[in-house]
Amino acid sequence: MRLKGLAGLVVVMGLMLTAPAAADLDPVEHKIATRAILCDCGCHPQSVEDCACGRAAQMRREMAGLIESGPPGGDGTGMTGEELIGHYVALHGEQVLITPSADGFNLVAWIGPFVGLFAATTILLLMLRRWKAAQPVTADGAPVEIDLEDPYLKRLQSELEELE
Amino acid sequence: MQDMTIILGHYGLLLALLASGWSALAALLGAASASPGLQRSAERSLQVCAGLTVMVTVCLVSGFLTDDFRLNYVHSYSSVSQPLPYKIGALWGGQSGSLLLWVLILLVMGTLMIRTNRNKNRALMPVATAVVALTATFFMILLNFIESPFVTGPAHADGVGLNPQLKNYWMMIHPPTLYLGYVGFTIPFAFGIAALVTRRTGDMWFRTTRRWTVFSWFVLGTGVLLGSYWAYIELGWGGYWAWDPVENASLMPWLTGTAFLHSVMIQERKGMLRVWNMLLIILTFSLSIFGTFLTRSGIISSVHSFATSNIGPAFFIFLVLIFFGSLVLLIMRLDHLKSKARLESVLSRESTFLFNNMILVGIAATILLLTTFPILSEAVTGRKVTMGPPIFNMVNIPWALILLALAGIGPLIAWRKASIGNLKRNFTLQSLVGAWVLIFFLVVFDRYSFLPAVQRLFGALGRLDVAGVLDEFKTFYPALTFGIGAFVVGTTLVEFFRGTRVRVRKYEESVATALSQLMWRNKRRYGGYVVHVGVVMIFCGIASSSAYQIEQRQMLDPGQYLEIDDYLMRYDGYELEAKDDYYGSRVHVSLYDRNSGKALGSLYAEQRFHPNMMVQPLRESFLRVKELGRTGSGDYQQGVLALYNLVPGLEERAGREVKTPSTEVGIAKFFSPLQASRWGEDFYVIPLAVDPASGRASFRVFVNPMINFIWFGGLIFVLGSIFSILPDSRERKRLEAALALEERAVA
Repeated sequence: MRLKGLAGLVVVMGLMLTAPAAADLDPVEHKIATRAILCDCGCHPQSVEDCACGRAAQMRREMAGLIESGPPGGDGTGMTGEELIGHYVALHGEQVLITPSADGFNLVAWIGPFVGLFAATTILLLMLRRWKAAQPVTADGAPVEIDLEDPYLKRLQSELEELE
Repeated sequence: MQDMTIILGHYGLLLALLASGWSALAALLGAASASPGLQRSAERSLQVCAGLTVMVTVCLVSGFLTDDFRLNYVHSYSSVSQPLPYKIGALWGGQSGSLLLWVLILLVMGTLMIRTNRNKNRALMPVATAVVALTATFFMILLNFIESPFVTGPAHADGVGLNPQLKNYWMMIHPPTLYLGYVGFTIPFAFGIAALVTRRTGDMWFRTTRRWTVFSWFVLGTGVLLGSYWAYIELGWGGYWAWDPVENASLMPWLTGTAFLHSVMIQERKGMLRVWNMLLIILTFSLSIFGTFLTRSGIISSVHSFATSNIGPAFFIFLVLIFFGSLVLLIMRLDHLKSKARLESVLSRESTFLFNNMILVGIAATILLLTTFPILSEAVTGRKVTMGPPIFNMVNIPWALILLALAGIGPLIAWRKASIGNLKRNFTLQSLVGAWVLIFFLVVFDRYSFLPAVQRLFGALGRLDVAGVLDEFKTFYPALTFGIGAFVVGTTLVEFFRGTRVRVRKYEESVATALSQLMWRNKRRYGGYVVHVGVVMIFCGIASSSAYQIEQRQMLDPGQYLEIDDYLMRYDGYELEAKDDYYGSRVHVSLYDRNSGKALGSLYAEQRFHPNMMVQPLRESFLRVKELGRTGSGDYQQGVLALYNLVPGLEERAGREVKTPSTEVGIAKFFSPLQASRWGEDFYVIPLAVDPASGRASFRVFVNPMINFIWFGGLIFVLGSIFSILPDSRERKRLEAALALEERAVA
């Protein structure tokens, strides 16, 4: 069995070596840009990298061209991914960014949920304290001490849990 | 005959409007005057409306089946060559058909509500009937005066057809499932409003509608999962959830519905949270309407589209009336909703449920904020922004993980007050297991990314870079998910173990009998635990397939190889085809294990183009090539190649371009536990572009680890939900006794 697998691997490796390698389509800068820019096909809010539509493929080609040669009318120097992102934002506005920048009013979207979580937790804790039953007191007003570790109470608690 | 169906449909809608309107009026008058006659009339009227709507729907379906392209709706969403199932599915392919489906489901459910409450809940039924009838009336107004599906135009020879990406059998299942869920929440909402109006604000309104609520919640959740799976196999980007506004619209009511399902347990047990439960059902129903509004109004694409959307303003007004009207009623009845019950400790099951609710509603609020933020931003600052998947993921995941942890704490923490002993006894082992799993994942899978992520995290904190901080937290999420998931599964197993042990000791049953009896006698509870396990699996599948997904893009000629992870993919070849309503290319690939060379299987993927059949030369060429294929002619491949060259020029002249070729992805699934490293994994192939002449193809390939855990978990979710709503004779008797008691108390 092991020999067969080894033979298979040798055949496969042999086949691979005879087949010319094909080029990778996405250099790093291209990926930086295609991941950050929204595909404008309107189907789904997806990046140019992720969207599978024909428009995304066209945008990927356009972006590859800009990374290689820069914008039309320029000096032919290519652009980095970040420069390409800036170029699209300058042309079309920040709505082309798949992720909004974390500044100005956008902070409401970034931080708002966490502020909400903190506020809701605080309010809930305050409400829970308000709802808490008043501790039972004896006839002369002294608080009744309940020892939850009392063995009889523990036994009752565990039997109630089992019954549940 | 065709004329008759149009006439029947058109006037049937009008009569249905009159019937629903009378039903609403009679029910309200019946409630005000306590007149049984008016209430009977209202209920009968609603059922007549249901019958008329069924007839109207049959008329529209008939239009699709007979290719009656005089109907604009049929012309827009169907064509002669469209396969039969999609002609039927086209009923809900557009706006007016969707609205018709919504109201049809509502009226069928309303009829069921009336039939099952003939001899009970008579005090609540008038107002409940009025709520259902008023909702139906709103939709009937839309259908009659704004978005009628029976508007006619010239008699075209053929139709435009359904969007190619909708021609998938999931189109038959997913939208109706979602709508069943959305609409189903109307019934518990109606009873909630009835309880407020009649001041019967005890438990009965939600106990009597518990199965409606669970059914709607389960069906909506199933619809969400089906939609995710459809997106995964159809859209060709390797993912399943893009935080699209329409997707979010379905998730929000499901989240608040989940909060409601948990929170009513506290009211049943302790008599607390009455106001909160009312608020939750109001919120859930409002979000269902809001979801339909979001989907149908187009408001999210731009704030300016609101004014041009023909149903947007009407939906907005209805939504405002529903939500604020319900809130006003709630405020007016606050005195009747006060509870004398008190909490004894913050460390208790009651508090855990409250925190659970807070997180669920918080996630729903977050999704609502982010979904509507583009409108908000444009309105407040004039800045147009996009809320894409990254911000949704970064902001929601922390909440989701806290929620997952609560799913483990809730079942075992004591009611009323948890002592230190209780906490130690119930959580020590599970916490240790969870911690070990967390450390294992950090050390084994994330060790290269963990420390650099910590460094970058502190760097981002120092720069006050919010987005950067959240981005770096992503590194820890998979390990946290698995650790917390292990904790939850542990606590769930302990629950099953303890319950079984009690029965074994008490009744001397075998373990298998004890377990089955335990579950059968407590379907609600143990069905819920099964759902929790399903949710854990879904979380783990999401975490793994997102964090550990590997992707590769490569251009290949036939015979060439692509290496990714421990796979080797060979591009075997391609063929051109023209069939049904598309032409395109089918590529064949073979998979091998990169280490051993073992063959793992073969699969195919397709890229399909859908020609515009309205363009006569194209139509003729396409049909001719299809015939070549059918007869096995040697010119078939050349014929399809000629179509590739013919289409672009013709499409431009016709003024319509084929924007999006649809992709049929190729997926190899690995289920065998014997291949542990691949268990639950998918090898996912997308042909981005195929040169029809040479076969040179651009591939995008994913390895999605554990992605099938999402679908397995979904299946467990479905099974657990169904189990929890199975009939229970003891519960039915308790409910009947409680109903009788309430009737006597009021009388």
